[in-house]
Amino acid sequence: MSAASVTVLPRRTPPTILVVEGDIRIRYRVSDELRAWGFKVLEAGSAPEALTVLDAVPVDLLVLALDLPGDGSGWDVVRHIRERPAPPKLIVTSGETDPPDTPEPFVRKPYQAVEVAALAAHSLNWSRPPQA
Amino acid sequence: MSTSSTHLSAKADTPLQTILVVEDEVLIRLVIAEYLRECGYRVHEAVSAEEAILILQAPEVSIDIVFSDVEMQGAMDGFGLARWIRANMPDTQVILTSGADRSADIAGTLCEAGPLMKKPYHTQEVVDRIKQLKATARRF
Repeated sequence: MSAASVTVLPRRTPPTILVVEGDIRIRYRVSDELRAWGFKVLEAGSAPEALTVLDAVPVDLLVLALDLPGDGSGWDVVRHIRERPAPPKLIVTSGETDPPDTPEPFVRKPYQAVEVAALAAHSLNWSRPPQA
Repeated sequence: MSTSSTHLSAKADTPLQTILVVEDEVLIRLVIAEYLRECGYRVHEAVSAEEAILILQAPEVSIDIVFSDVEMQGAMDGFGLARWIRANMPDTQVILTSGADRSADIAGTLCEAGPLMKKPYHTQEVVDRIKQLKATARRF
């Protein structure tokens, strides 16, 4: 069987996405959009919260703001993830004009929540459930 | 009517009500929020009273019930949030939780549901409390 004949089927079990965003107005919008796409969504408002969740709950992908308030930054979360043997996938967001020096997909703020949801779905090989 | 007819569907097509969970301990918040979603509620989350107010003020969001911890980091605690809600959104119902016994009498005047829930609590108690609020609202 050649590689060209292999068909990758979409996931059937909803992936878990951790949204790490300090701006509640962004966090609830993108979280709602991701839930509408059928993902299981966890929310964290800071780097310490994100690290607490990551140490307690399996996560498939993070939507991670690099510009987080309070103690710690998004880069602390990135470093924590990269130390893991099986790190979750990552989409980074920021209000900075220049994209960060990271290989992960980058979304500049302000963004449309549906853009992040589509990017997450592609990254996780997830098909959005049919809408009613 | 049998008791089974009052059981909430695990994945209801239409959310029963929208609940805002305000809790600065992230794992507690996640457990409660996810449990309520599995019971069919639409749930928003806030890590502080300040975040809760921002969500409550969002024009596209309509919160029916606020479930809030009393002791939270930030300039405003759960009591302050409850007072803000009573002054600005009197139709929004509030449930307050706390580990301090003496907070029960103070919260009684702010929480329409009655006595304060004490920590630790079981998630089923949260759902039962919300059902009580809904049943109370339907009488008027």
